[in-house]
Amino acid sequence: MNIKITHNWLLEYLDTDASPDEIREYLSLCGPSIESVEKMGDDYVYDIEVISNRIDYASVLGIAREAAAILPMFGKKVKLLKDYLSKSNCQSVKSELKLEIQDSKNLCPRKLAVVMDVKVSQSPGNIKNRLEACGIRSLNNIIDVTNYVMLETGHPTHVFDFDRVKTGKIIVRKAKTGEKITTLDGKEYILNSNDIVFDDGSGRIIDLPGIMGLKNSVVTEKTKRIIFWIETNDPKAIRQTSMRLGIRTVAASINEKNPDPSAAAFALLKGIEFYKKIASAKIISPIYDTNPQSEKQKTIDFDYKIFKKIIGVEIDKKTINNILTRLGFKIISSKILVPSHREHDISISEDLVEEVARVYGYRNIPSVLQPAVYVEQPKEMEDIFVFQNKIKLLLKHLGLNEMINYSMVSKDQLINFGLDPKKHLRLSNTLSEDIEYLRTCLTISLLKNIKENTGKKEMMKLFEIGKVYLPKNGELPDEVYKIGIATNTDYFDLKGIIEAIYKELNILDPSVPEITEIDGVFLAEINLQELINNSRSFPTYKPINPYAVIKLDKTFDLEGVSRIAPTTYAEIEHKAFKSKLLQKIVVKSLYQNKLTLRFYYSSSERNITEKEAKEELDKV
Amino acid sequence: MIDVEKVKNEFQKDIANISSIDENTILHIKYLGRNGLINKLLAEIKNKPDLEKKAYGLQVNLTKKIIEEGINIKTKELSSKKSNVFFDKTLPGKIYPKGSLHVVSLAIEEITKIFEKIGFIRVSYPEVDWEYGAFESLNIPSQHPARDDVETSFIDVPAHPTLGKMVLTPHTSNGQNKEMKRVEKPKIRMINISKCYRPNWDAIHTPMFYQFEGLCIDQNINITNLKGTLDYFAEMYFGKGTRTRLRPHHFQFTEPSFEVDVTCTVCQGKAKKNGVKCKVCKSGWLELGGTGIVHPNVLKEGKIDPKKYSGWAFGFGIERVIMMKYGLDDIRNYYSGDIRFLEQF
Repeated sequence: MNIKITHNWLLEYLDTDASPDEIREYLSLCGPSIESVEKMGDDYVYDIEVISNRIDYASVLGIAREAAAILPMFGKKVKLLKDYLSKSNCQSVKSELKLEIQDSKNLCPRKLAVVMDVKVSQSPGNIKNRLEACGIRSLNNIIDVTNYVMLETGHPTHVFDFDRVKTGKIIVRKAKTGEKITTLDGKEYILNSNDIVFDDGSGRIIDLPGIMGLKNSVVTEKTKRIIFWIETNDPKAIRQTSMRLGIRTVAASINEKNPDPSAAAFALLKGIEFYKKIASAKIISPIYDTNPQSEKQKTIDFDYKIFKKIIGVEIDKKTINNILTRLGFKIISSKILVPSHREHDISISEDLVEEVARVYGYRNIPSVLQPAVYVEQPKEMEDIFVFQNKIKLLLKHLGLNEMINYSMVSKDQLINFGLDPKKHLRLSNTLSEDIEYLRTCLTISLLKNIKENTGKKEMMKLFEIGKVYLPKNGELPDEVYKIGIATNTDYFDLKGIIEAIYKELNILDPSVPEITEIDGVFLAEINLQELINNSRSFPTYKPINPYAVIKLDKTFDLEGVSRIAPTTYAEIEHKAFKSKLLQKIVVKSLYQNKLTLRFYYSSSERNITEKEAKEELDKV
Repeated sequence: MIDVEKVKNEFQKDIANISSIDENTILHIKYLGRNGLINKLLAEIKNKPDLEKKAYGLQVNLTKKIIEEGINIKTKELSSKKSNVFFDKTLPGKIYPKGSLHVVSLAIEEITKIFEKIGFIRVSYPEVDWEYGAFESLNIPSQHPARDDVETSFIDVPAHPTLGKMVLTPHTSNGQNKEMKRVEKPKIRMINISKCYRPNWDAIHTPMFYQFEGLCIDQNINITNLKGTLDYFAEMYFGKGTRTRLRPHHFQFTEPSFEVDVTCTVCQGKAKKNGVKCKVCKSGWLELGGTGIVHPNVLKEGKIDPKKYSGWAFGFGIERVIMMKYGLDDIRNYYSGDIRFLEQF
């Protein structure tokens, strides 16, 4: 997530001589990534990326804390302003008016609340402008304070119309399956028993805590009394409900990441201060805090050696201690006390190394290639890559174009290709029907390629080398590397390409895979592993034959009407090679069904005569 | 009746008047061609009395030799002169088939070679995996918001009792645990290049893409080594003088975690090109991807003792590095199969 805050707002917490551009650059190098800084009037707006484990800096205060730790490393003067956790001017009043807060299962560990008399109006211009510069719409002073305080302190806050809650009770409970709510933006949702809600004691749900307020308790122009409310949540519950219902508010994105409970207390005080300032608020109830923060702080055992181990260079102890202290850690010999806002993020000593290294500056760490060592590559993996590459290059040089298609195809594609969708793995959350099923062959995609490229290129010869995914019951699929080839030329073109691969890999006596034809497109697929298994790294060597070669041509009538049984090249070849003198056969020409072959006869022991050769040929 | 002497004399006259290669060729045909005068003389042999046949044959052969020599000499003489037939050497040569390799294949080869030189081996691991391989083995527990950062495509089959749902791997990092378990005892120097899948489809995302993952585990591996490797890769792939920088980030499977930037390939890190702000990078830097020091929990999950060994890992997008290096920015073309795009490489 990203947040926006302004420079002047930051300066309310930070005294520094660093310029907005310097703050952007230095913080981005050592802490929060500030994606941009934009001038707006007499202020600057920072757009800041908040990474998922650092929800503690999703606020003006959080960025001020980071800046206070980082900027001194760049020679900048910096001081965090204010004792921002003081409880000044927030005295509880003795009052008849009481809230009843029940949470028997402790679903929201800490609940803070106060009831106030208020006057609803527009927010003053400076508040309005600041919120809008930060991308938040200003509604009225009562709502604006909740957002303003959230952005300033990092903890989401909420406000109810006290009189619309009616009973003065807030009961935290799990929803019943099927209960309906209407959120303040007017949308209806159906809940289940994992969702946490607030009930006003009459069975009426008045809030979806930590995610969004409801229409029946939201403040209106007529509101006279408010409950300013903050609770801490179970992050997993927030996340589940928010994801399932699709309500992704800023509050939900913060609450699902475990914000600091002590920030909740600070937010309450800040909120009261602002309501007094801009809504003429008067506290008319006790100030509730069901679970004041215990003083117990998380501790981590650590050894200074770990810094050198991970960073690779020595950073002196004093620098380490300074950095950690500026970040709010307390060092007590080999123990570190973690500040509350970092409690969920810092748990092991490696986390401390990151803190020190980033503030120290990654730019100050040298760059050293690790020593080279020999690591054996498994032969079967090496083969897969070496052969793939060899075949890719061969096919490219033969004039074929390589395709890489999505591993997924559509149901229609499968059916049109004569395949059963049930025998394919299906994506349960596919973005599009076009990519719903994991393919079990490559040719299905290549056929589509040729069809879609019709008109763009006349003659097409395409190939793809990649995996197909063959489902297995209860197991991961077999992922099998295949070579798919498709041409829109003719059968013998494709057959020749396949034979060229066999020749390149010195495969003797190949069994050519089946070539299919669909709408003038010729398709074939070869299993890469089988090719590798049958290949030879070196061709079979034959000594050069010093004796004469007799070449004889003969024309055959293929499937001729004059013959009872049809003749094929394979039959002729089979018969001809019965002769020990035959070296090879070359196809000279094929005209209609007249096949002319040239036969090469020779012996490795002596010169043979033309007559001998002719006798051999006559047997064919 | 044709006469040897006459032919000889005629040749002498002819050769004296030759002034071009083309005329010489014609002369060659006239005397030495299949229906040339020499062959005609030879054909006469059958009409000669038996006694004269031998002498006649010798005489013809001698004449043939004289003519051949004469033509050869003339050819050498004339070869410096241009042919009269118009010869346009600017015409294209004979056309040989030219296929193409996919731009991703080219990048994979390039990257594999760069890492081979420093002892890294390329591996191949499954693209379809259990949630355990894609997440839990990488210290990303279920329900963790970090899983949002890597949105996942799920397969519609019953979940495994212990390993979770079946997924298409959203990153090449699923190879980390598998490589650790394969090797058992480090040293590990792995480069894992594979298809990955996430449910994103727009101008800058395709639901399938390629990543390359580096993993180095050994004794005494630290941030300086990660920086050394990144600098090496950046210079080898993007060119001499390319620099890298690390910025803090968060990944569940590394601690510390970084994002790596490299100096912009367009403005060479100056943020300005011809006096105007560089349109490609804005700040002089381009983001390359995520990296970090392998989290001890990830080592433990791979049965490697984090007290003895440490390591670094990175995972970068192949399409991204191609885009950064060559500016091919509409990645949807990569996998749409449009021949007009693909045949250019």
